[in-house]
Amino acid sequence: MLKLLRIEWLKVKNYRAFWILLAMSILCIPGLNYLLFDLMDNSFPKGKGKAIVGSPFAFPDAWQTISFNSTLTFILPAILIITLTTNEFTYKTHRQNVIDGWSRQQFIGVKLVELVLLSLLSTFVVFLTALAFGCVGNKVAPGQSIWPDVRFVFFFFVQMLSYSMIAFLLAMLVKRAGLAIGAFLIYMLAENILVGVLRNVYKLNGVDYLPEEVTDRLIPQPYLRKVLQSADDVTRWEHHLPIYLGIAALYLIIYCVFTSRRFTTSDL
Amino acid sequence: MHQVSFEVPQGSVFGVLGPNGSGKTTLLGIVMDVLKASDGTYSWFGEPPSEKHRQQIGTLLETPNFYHYLSGEQNLRIAAAIKGKGEGDIPRVLEMVNLSERKHSKFSTYSLGMKQRLAIASCLLGNPSVLVFDEPTNGLDPVGIAETREMIKRLAKEGKTIILASHLLDEVEKVCTHVAILRRGELLMAGDVNEVLTNEDFIELGAGATALEALRSALSSLPNVRQLKVQEEHIQLYAENGAVDPAAVNRHCFEKGIVLTHLQLRKKSLETKFMELTDDQQAKPGRR
Repeated sequence: MLKLLRIEWLKVKNYRAFWILLAMSILCIPGLNYLLFDLMDNSFPKGKGKAIVGSPFAFPDAWQTISFNSTLTFILPAILIITLTTNEFTYKTHRQNVIDGWSRQQFIGVKLVELVLLSLLSTFVVFLTALAFGCVGNKVAPGQSIWPDVRFVFFFFVQMLSYSMIAFLLAMLVKRAGLAIGAFLIYMLAENILVGVLRNVYKLNGVDYLPEEVTDRLIPQPYLRKVLQSADDVTRWEHHLPIYLGIAALYLIIYCVFTSRRFTTSDL
Repeated sequence: MHQVSFEVPQGSVFGVLGPNGSGKTTLLGIVMDVLKASDGTYSWFGEPPSEKHRQQIGTLLETPNFYHYLSGEQNLRIAAAIKGKGEGDIPRVLEMVNLSERKHSKFSTYSLGMKQRLAIASCLLGNPSVLVFDEPTNGLDPVGIAETREMIKRLAKEGKTIILASHLLDEVEKVCTHVAILRRGELLMAGDVNEVLTNEDFIELGAGATALEALRSALSSLPNVRQLKVQEEHIQLYAENGAVDPAAVNRHCFEKGIVLTHLQLRKKSLETKFMELTDDQQAKPGRR
């Protein structure tokens, strides 16, 4: 696999668009979080904000807040994934790689590993950003552990991997960058609308398990929790957490199997 | 493809012929695992096919496929890495196709001919024993075409097995030792180029315009004559089993009192043969 990754590295290391999109994907995580932090800080009269919204950027809430905010940047790594994948189809290099001596499984396998690596990199940046906000931006009380709720960073990883796989799947199906990015945006929007309508109008709880919604549910929105969430909500969320994770894992397996089968059995 | 079966002998230059849409690229796509056949089998080096075999084959299939944003040299590094070859061979192959001076230019800035030459360079990486070229002279200028032909001949002399698909019959005729002729996905004929064309030898005879009728009459009394084609100044003689003996024909004519002014043993060109074969197929009822 290291050999295959080295070849993938040769493909991107001199590709300017790759570096620009990667830098944007990474820098937007601390950037957006700072923007939201700043917005909150300046939205309330001095000293009143904490009483209203609590301290979402201080430990232990920082893990959840930073993870949640960072999910809003998913479109950038999705564009990166779609660009790199559709490039292969545009230049027909997916054919050439196979002709030159890769098996189809190797081609698809290394792409899937890349998605995991990109998700790990983003997750690491989220971890560092949360640490920075939690430790540097806010005082940690003596004796207070910063680690409770660090699990939200893992949930971010699951969510990021899931969105990355959806972007990859669309790129493999559509094969054109513009169309795939459009399809990704429409899907993100359409599922949210569908979930809203089915849950609120038709009272269908099964919509919680749709591909996007089930990973969204891993990280509940962290703001105004005291006002918007009851103790029952938190207990119910804790109870459903293993189910959300299990179904998210199932979707990931389905994405992997579907993309692999499609690439290994169809004409290139 | 339907019922296409043949073997490519080691060390041969094997031409795959056919008009546009006859299935040449489809055939090569199947054996390079970029197209999935609904049925049938193939083998490389006498073994079931795998990616390891493809690494030992230099292949140019249809169009040159490279990363547009990378230079020629960077693209060859990727190809060499996939083939499991070192990068040390890159300067040699670039030199062979006269691209050394432009190796740092982006692929997107290359002309069609340069792209084709880069694809040929990529095929030559690691000095493979088998080469597959699909329309290798596409987009090349006359000098490039001649150079490519020479290179194919040179590679053939080195003992490499070359599979060459082309609709340019003249190109195949000049370099191939074996041919397979395809039409609409069906194999019309395959084998040694001399065997395929063996019964197509004919003798062209002339004895002056005034003696043409006497010559025709004399020739018709020869045994094993399949066909006499009378042309303006010459008569073409086709023998029954393809084996024509110019000496016997000359002697026969002389004994009949006709002095030949022109006698030439000729092979039917591949193009003529090909046109006849495909015409035959078109003439068959129910083919359309």
